[in-house]
Amino acid sequence: MRYGIAVKLALLLAAVGICASALTGAYSYWLSRNLLVESSQKSLVASTQVLGRRVDTSLEEVARNLQVLSSHPSVRRTLQQPNAEMNAQLAELFELMMKANPAYFQIRLITAANFGLEQVRVDRQGGTFIKVADDDLQEKGHFSYVSETLQLPAGAIYMSRIAINHERGAYTGAEQPTMQLATPVRSAKGEALGVVVINLDVDGLFNLLATDLPNDFRLFLANGQGDILIHPDRSKTFGFDRGQRVLLQDEFPPTRELVEGVVNQVVFQQPTTDGLVQPVVMALVRLPVKLHSEEGQLFVGLAKPLASVKEGARHLGTLIMVSVLGFSVLGLLVALLLARLALRPLRQLIDAANLFAHGQPVGVLPTARQDEIGELARSFQHMHLQIGEQLSSLHASQEQLKQMAQYDALTELPNRRMLQDRLEVAITRAKRQGGCASVLFIDLDNFKEINDGWGHDAGDAVLVAVAQRLRRAVRATDTVARLGGDEFVVLLDGPDTERDTDLIANKLIECLAPGIPFQGGTLRIAASIGISMFPRHGVTASQLLMAADRAMYLVKARGRGGVGFAMLQD
Amino acid sequence: MLLVEWRILLIATLLCLLPLSVQAEGVLRVLAWPGYADPDVVKEFEQRTHSKVEVTYIESDADMWRKVSEGNAANFDVFAVNTAELQRYIQHGLVSAINVAAIPNVQRQLPRFQQRQNIPGLVHEGKTYAIPYTYSEMGLIYDRKQVTTPPDSISAMWNKRYQGKVVAYNGGVHSFSLAAQSLGLPSPFHIGEQQWPQLVNQLIALRRNVSAFYTGPDESVALFRERHAALMFANFGSQQLQLLKAAGVDVGYAIPREGALAWLDCWAMTRSVRDPQLAARWISYLLEDMPGKVLLQRQGLANTTSPSPYFNNKARIVWLEPAESEERRDKLWGRILSGDRAAKVLQP
Repeated sequence: MRYGIAVKLALLLAAVGICASALTGAYSYWLSRNLLVESSQKSLVASTQVLGRRVDTSLEEVARNLQVLSSHPSVRRTLQQPNAEMNAQLAELFELMMKANPAYFQIRLITAANFGLEQVRVDRQGGTFIKVADDDLQEKGHFSYVSETLQLPAGAIYMSRIAINHERGAYTGAEQPTMQLATPVRSAKGEALGVVVINLDVDGLFNLLATDLPNDFRLFLANGQGDILIHPDRSKTFGFDRGQRVLLQDEFPPTRELVEGVVNQVVFQQPTTDGLVQPVVMALVRLPVKLHSEEGQLFVGLAKPLASVKEGARHLGTLIMVSVLGFSVLGLLVALLLARLALRPLRQLIDAANLFAHGQPVGVLPTARQDEIGELARSFQHMHLQIGEQLSSLHASQEQLKQMAQYDALTELPNRRMLQDRLEVAITRAKRQGGCASVLFIDLDNFKEINDGWGHDAGDAVLVAVAQRLRRAVRATDTVARLGGDEFVVLLDGPDTERDTDLIANKLIECLAPGIPFQGGTLRIAASIGISMFPRHGVTASQLLMAADRAMYLVKARGRGGVGFAMLQD
Repeated sequence: MLLVEWRILLIATLLCLLPLSVQAEGVLRVLAWPGYADPDVVKEFEQRTHSKVEVTYIESDADMWRKVSEGNAANFDVFAVNTAELQRYIQHGLVSAINVAAIPNVQRQLPRFQQRQNIPGLVHEGKTYAIPYTYSEMGLIYDRKQVTTPPDSISAMWNKRYQGKVVAYNGGVHSFSLAAQSLGLPSPFHIGEQQWPQLVNQLIALRRNVSAFYTGPDESVALFRERHAALMFANFGSQQLQLLKAAGVDVGYAIPREGALAWLDCWAMTRSVRDPQLAARWISYLLEDMPGKVLLQRQGLANTTSPSPYFNNKARIVWLEPAESEERRDKLWGRILSGDRAAKVLQP
C-alpha cells in the first residue's frame, strides 16, 4: 500500500491542488503588485499635482505681495517725485516682507525714467538685509523684467525665465537660480512710472514647498523647453548656462510626450542612471504659467525610490506565499481523504478478489453503483460465478478420474493400485499395533467356460454379482478389490489366527455357492482362495500378494475349489 | 611552417584590433559655437571613428576664455576660436601646435586658407596653431518695415529713433570695438588709457538705447521678433540672417561705412588634448563635403572649401585683431551690462 493507487491518486490530486493554488498565488501577486505599483504611481502623481498647485499658490502669493507694494501710495509718489524719506520707508517695508518670505532674494522699485534706474533696492545677504543706495543702484531698463513689465497693464504680473542670475552687485542671489516677478506701477492716468520686482530664490522656494514630503522623495523642475532646473544631481541643472543643455526628455525619455505637449502628466519607472543613485518611480506634471511670461509652462516632478514601492509588494508576496502554503497543506489533506473515499469500492473489490482466490465467500460487492467501479464489480461478480461453475465441473471430472484410477469400472471395487495402497496402510498399521492382516486371493474356477458359453454379458454379470456378494460377506473395514479378469483380493483387517481367516474364506466360498441368476437360469460358479497373512507369510505388500497368489494356484492345482494357506516364509 | 604563419597572422590581426577597441572608448571634448557641431554631423563622425564626442557650446569669447583657461585647458580637446582671440591662448600656452599632415582635408580648402602663414595669427615660429573653419563679417540686421533706408553707419545703434528697438550682442570685446568705431577712434582694437571713460559712456548710451542683449543666435532671433526690433548687431553675421529669414522675418543686412568687423573661426587643439590623432580626424572631417554643406546651407555660414555666397568681398571689412586687453573689456562690460553707471563702471 506504500505506493498504492490511493497514495498516487492522493499525490496527483494534491499536486493539482498545489499547482492551482500556486498559480493563483502567483497571478494574484502579479496582479496585486501591479495594482500596488499603479496606486503608488497614482499617489505620486497626486502628490506632484499638489506640489504643482503649491507652486501656483506661492506664485500667486508673490503676485499679491507685488500688487500690494505697487498699489502702495508711497510707491507711486516717490516714483513721480523721488523722495529719500519715502524711499527709506519703502526699504523698511521691503525688508519686512523679505523677512516674512525667506525665498525672496531681492525686492526693488525701479523707475521707468532714467533707463530703469533702481530707486529702492533691498538685497538679502545671508541673514541680514542690505539697502543698496546711491552709486550702487543700477540701470535695468535693458532687462526683460523691466522693459516687458512696463508694457503690462496695472496689476498684471510678469514672470521671467528661470536662470542663473549673473547680474553684478547682487548679494546672496548672485549666481543663483533665480526668477524675477514684477508688476508695473502706473499713474492715475495710466502712465507707466516704474516696476516693483521680486527676485525669487528658485531652489529655496521649491525646498520650502517640498518640506513636508517624505525624506526619500526627490524634486525635479524643468522649463518649457525641458531644460532641467532642479535635479538631485546639481550637475544636471542649468546646463544651458554652461553651454551643455541637459533636457528632461533626453534624461528621461518617457517625458518626451509631456514636453511636446501631447500629455499633461507622466508617471514611469526610471532605472538608475547617472545622476540618480537608485531606481525610482517618477511623476511629472505640466504647470501652465498663468502670469505674463516667456516661460509659458514649467514641469514639476517628484521621484520616490522604487524600493519603497517594492517593500509593500514584498510584504504582499510573503502573505500570499503563506496562504499558498496553507492551502497546499489543506489541499493535501483533502486529497488524501478524497482518494480514500474514491478507492473504498475498489478496495472492496480487491478484498473480494483475495477472498475468492482463497475460495472463501466474496461478500457484498458494490454492483449497484452506476459508474465504472459498479461496472467492474458486476463484471467481477459475473466472472466469479462463471469461475465457480467451471470449478465445480472440474471437481466432478477430477472425482471421476480419481474413481477411474482407483476403482474397477465394472464392479466398482477398488482396483489393484488402491488395493496396493490399502494393503500398505494395513501393513503399516499392523506393524505399529502388532496386529495382523490377511490377504485372500480369489480366482473364479469356471469363469472361462461361462464367458465362452454364455457370452461376455454373462461374464460381466457374474463378475458384478461376485463383487457384490464378496462385499456383503465381509466387514465394512475390509477391502474387496478386483485385480483384473476373474481375480479378486479380499484384505482382512485383523483376524489373528489362520482358523478365523479360514472361516471367513469358506464363508466367501459359500456365498458364491447358490449360483448367479442370469436370463432366467442360474450360472454355477466356484472359487479358489489362496491366503497369506502378515507377518507370517510376508512383510511387504508384494510378498503377501505373491504368497497368496501362489497359495491360490496350489489350491487350483489340487482340484476345483477350496481354500489354502500360503507356505510359511523361510 | 604553415602553423607559424598562422600565428603571425593571428597576432597581426589582434594587433590591428587593439587600437580599434581603444579608439572605441575615445572621447573627444569639443568646445564650439552654436551650429558648428550639429548633432547629425557629430553622429556621423562618432560612427566613423567609434568615438564619443562631447560638445559644449559657448556663446561669447569671454565664456570660451573662461572655460578653456579653467583648469589649464584640461577640460577640452579641440575648440573653435577666432584668429584674434587665438593669440591670448597661444600666449598663455593653452593650445598645442597642430600636425597639419594629420589633417589631409586641408588640401580641399580654398588656396587663401591653405596659405596659413598669410593669415595673421595662425602660424607662430613656423608652427600652425589653428585650421580655418568659417568666417563672417558682423553687419547690421534691420527690419525692412521699420527701417526704410538701410543703416550706413554703426552709429545707427545709438540712434534715439530706435530707442528700445535695438538688439545688441552681450560681448565685452566686440562691444568696445563697436563703440570705438562709432566714435571714430583710429583702431577699434587698441584703446588708449584716456579713451576708456569715453568708450564706457558710449556703451552706457548703447545700453540705454537697446531693448535687450543676446548671446546665442537663436536667442537673437527670438528677441528680434518678440521685441519687434528695428535693428540688430549681427555678431554671428550671416548665420543670424539665415535664421531670421527662415523664421519669416523680412530683414535686410547692411555693412556700416566704418567697416564691418569680421571674424575667422579656426579649430585649435588645447595643450592637454588627449588624443591628437582623433582631434585631427575631427578637424579633417569637418572640411569634408557634408559638414561644409551643413555649415553653408543650414547655418548660413561660409566654409573654407568653397566660395561663400554670403561674404561680400567688396565691402569694407575689418578683420578682428587681438584687443589691447580682453580681460579689461570683459570686466567693464560686465558692469555696464549689470546696469552700473559710468562712475561705478570705471572704478578700479
